[in-house]
Amino acid sequence: MLTLSNLHAGYGKVEVLHGISLEVPKGQVVTLIGSNGAGKTTTMRAISGMIAPREGKVMLGGVDITGRDSHRIARLGLAHSPEGRRVFATMSVNDNLLLGAFPRYTGARARGDIAADLERAMDYFPRLKERRTQLAGTLSGGEQQMLAMARAMMMNPEVVLLDEPSMGLAPILVDEVFRIISRLRAEGVTMLLVEQFAAAALNVADYGYVLENGRIAVHGPAEKLKNDPAVQAAYLGGSH
Amino acid sequence: MKSRPLLLAAVGLAALAGFPFVVANPYYIHLAQTIAIYAILLFGLDIVVGYTGQVSLGHAGLFGIGAYTAGVLFMKFSAPLLVTLLAGVVVTAGFGALLALPALRVTGPYLAMVTLAFGTIIQILINEMTDLTNGAMGITLQRPRLLGATLDERGFYFVICFLLVAALVVVHRILRSHLGRAFEALRGSPVASDCMGVSVYRYKVYAFVISAGLAGLAGSLYAYSEKYISPNTWNFELTVLLLLAIIMGGRKTRSGALLGAAIIVILPKLLDDLELFRYVSVTLAVVVVAGAAVLVARGRSTVARSAIPVIGSVTLAVLSFVLTSMTDWRLSIFGLITLLVVYYLQDGIVGYVRQSLGWRGHGADDAAQAATLAAPASAVSTSTAAGTGELVAADQVLMQFGGLKALNEVTLHVARGTIHGLIGPNGSGKSTMMNVLTGIYVPTAGAIAFKGQSIVGRTSARIALAGIARTFQNVQLFGEMTALQNVLVGLHHSYRSNLLDVALHLPRFRREEREAAARAYALLKFVGLESLAGEEARNLPYGKQRLLEIARALALNPELLLLDEPAAGLTAPDIKELVVIIRKIREHGITLILIEHHMDVVMSVCDVVTVLDFGQKIAEGTPAAVQSDPQVIKAYLGSEAH
Repeated sequence: MLTLSNLHAGYGKVEVLHGISLEVPKGQVVTLIGSNGAGKTTTMRAISGMIAPREGKVMLGGVDITGRDSHRIARLGLAHSPEGRRVFATMSVNDNLLLGAFPRYTGARARGDIAADLERAMDYFPRLKERRTQLAGTLSGGEQQMLAMARAMMMNPEVVLLDEPSMGLAPILVDEVFRIISRLRAEGVTMLLVEQFAAAALNVADYGYVLENGRIAVHGPAEKLKNDPAVQAAYLGGSH
Repeated sequence: MKSRPLLLAAVGLAALAGFPFVVANPYYIHLAQTIAIYAILLFGLDIVVGYTGQVSLGHAGLFGIGAYTAGVLFMKFSAPLLVTLLAGVVVTAGFGALLALPALRVTGPYLAMVTLAFGTIIQILINEMTDLTNGAMGITLQRPRLLGATLDERGFYFVICFLLVAALVVVHRILRSHLGRAFEALRGSPVASDCMGVSVYRYKVYAFVISAGLAGLAGSLYAYSEKYISPNTWNFELTVLLLLAIIMGGRKTRSGALLGAAIIVILPKLLDDLELFRYVSVTLAVVVVAGAAVLVARGRSTVARSAIPVIGSVTLAVLSFVLTSMTDWRLSIFGLITLLVVYYLQDGIVGYVRQSLGWRGHGADDAAQAATLAAPASAVSTSTAAGTGELVAADQVLMQFGGLKALNEVTLHVARGTIHGLIGPNGSGKSTMMNVLTGIYVPTAGAIAFKGQSIVGRTSARIALAGIARTFQNVQLFGEMTALQNVLVGLHHSYRSNLLDVALHLPRFRREEREAAARAYALLKFVGLESLAGEEARNLPYGKQRLLEIARALALNPELLLLDEPAAGLTAPDIKELVVIIRKIREHGITLILIEHHMDVVMSVCDVVTVLDFGQKIAEGTPAAVQSDPQVIKAYLGSEAH
């Protein structure tokens, strides 16, 4: 569904990614793990067009999306839930979710039943249901994170990029976020997941890539990576 | 490394000195005078617009005040040149302060409106106060005398050039000192500036007053240069033109200000003369095409990236031959050029050239130099007033936002030399507690004592200087500044140098700057970021940004350090390093309050843990006791083992 080949990207004169190749097959959850500064967030941003790749190719469902504008890539069905919960603070929870479905209103994506999907999102995230008329800015950090995830789902995306969904969340909410990810996976949602809790990420993923200094160091089925002593030592150190 | 700026300076000075001898025509000498005067004004405007990021629409008015100070003193008292110039600076700086003190309490569009109103009022006052200003009649000045001789066009040109160079040196030195860093920091993150002891309001006013002083100098020179001043000159159009000069030339550079001044003076004249315009536009096109070709050949630019300036300049050149009469097209061409620059060269012409040539800013060089300085005895200050006892005593703190009680009578006592954990679900009031302790919020009720003294109602900057430093949950770095400069802002308190020390690079300033650079570098080393000292903070990965915040906070020599989720977004190995750093900080006698969701971190470093839920304290005690508290498990940890 999503394929990167030999992707190079960076900021200013600094190149962060030195040729990344990876594949997210349809209906699978793929996780990208690695230490800080390895280039996980940069990879996400290069995929969704927030930064322009210098070299290499990004293919989404057979369409070359390399270097296209973010909003065009989004219309092709790529939903990015960015690091640090960027919700529309002065709009209600309901409106935030409906904005997630924007490409379906404009005809860029198949419309389907938006109202039903809204209810489905609320069903996934019961906390949002309780607060549907509240302004997003007044939600707690955990609720904002859930809103960002739910908003990404509202597009009916082909692929979802989740960048650090558990960051800054209380342990009790971290568990909930991972439960929701597993549930989405069971429904066949295609996902690329970046997580600081690498062990937990590998638990919900089908396949994993380990990023080291802007290159893929190891990759393999999540089960196998989890039991790889080198990966364990370097990235799975502590539990959360 | 050092030879390039020196060479450039020598060439520049020679060009300035030689110009009136090569071009003897008084018209062109006068044009050069005007450019130099605008450049002085723009140096000042750039401090406000480029560095502090405030938009002033009042600089035309300040320029006018300078001109009229000189004009009135000349007309009423026949005051000599030196007196009128000095008075121009002082009076205008005074007006600048008068405007800045109330105006800089507001920001953004409001500030623009206030300064716009100021400019309009000044213009009207000049017009109406006929007794003082001669009203609409204007004031005629004569050629000034200096050292007993009347200055001719060329003589006055040299006076202006001398002041231009002096202004350039002084402004450049201010901007590269702790003052300039304060200006830049308050743009990058006002809340972080305040929490580093750099009062945002105070430094905004400083920047504005310095800027007004330069506008005054430029104004008084302008009065002599034009020999006639009238109220209509200082209008809104001039203000816009000045801002345009900064944007086109390139903000945050002195060369940009010079270039901007040249553009706004020459361009309108250029568009008057078709012959000259053809000549210049062809030259420009040749330069741009050749430059682009060289860059593409060297692989520093791509064909696509250089296409726009090439097409633009070639079109302009072709246009100049197609058109037979310029007058009809003048404004359109001017607008088109402006549009192209603002659209495609967002960092201005100088910024674009720098970027294409791959020039690094001075930040990277400074960082390299800091590495060579002798390291200070200890990077992290040791809290001298060691011992036991309470460092923080917050009692019954109530923080209410509308109907919401973010903190509901929370009592928090922190013992000296300990690491005190603060945990709780998202939205339980932990960050609010931090904000109350650092003066960002003033509590609705309750008492907070730090070292036995109440800090309720004090400004963030004062609390910071009293010894409370912090990091932020949502990283608040000064993005456009290097890692080293970020830490240097934290060391702002270590400077005693005044404006004079900075302008003249007196020994005190040089010593302080050296010491601060060495200390800042040592602090970066302490958190393991020394190899990234010259990198802009916004380009650092998230985890490194968090470490940089810690280094910057330590620069304050705090007795209490508040860390707000330092491990968020860090992977397991990085968290281990962080724990080591936290322990090392405590060994220096610094007390810490730690907000964190990673329970392994909290459990391994904290002496005492307080748990908040819905703004209320639900538990407090040793990590082990808190971890097994059923209420904490229910509200925060969840049922599974952690």
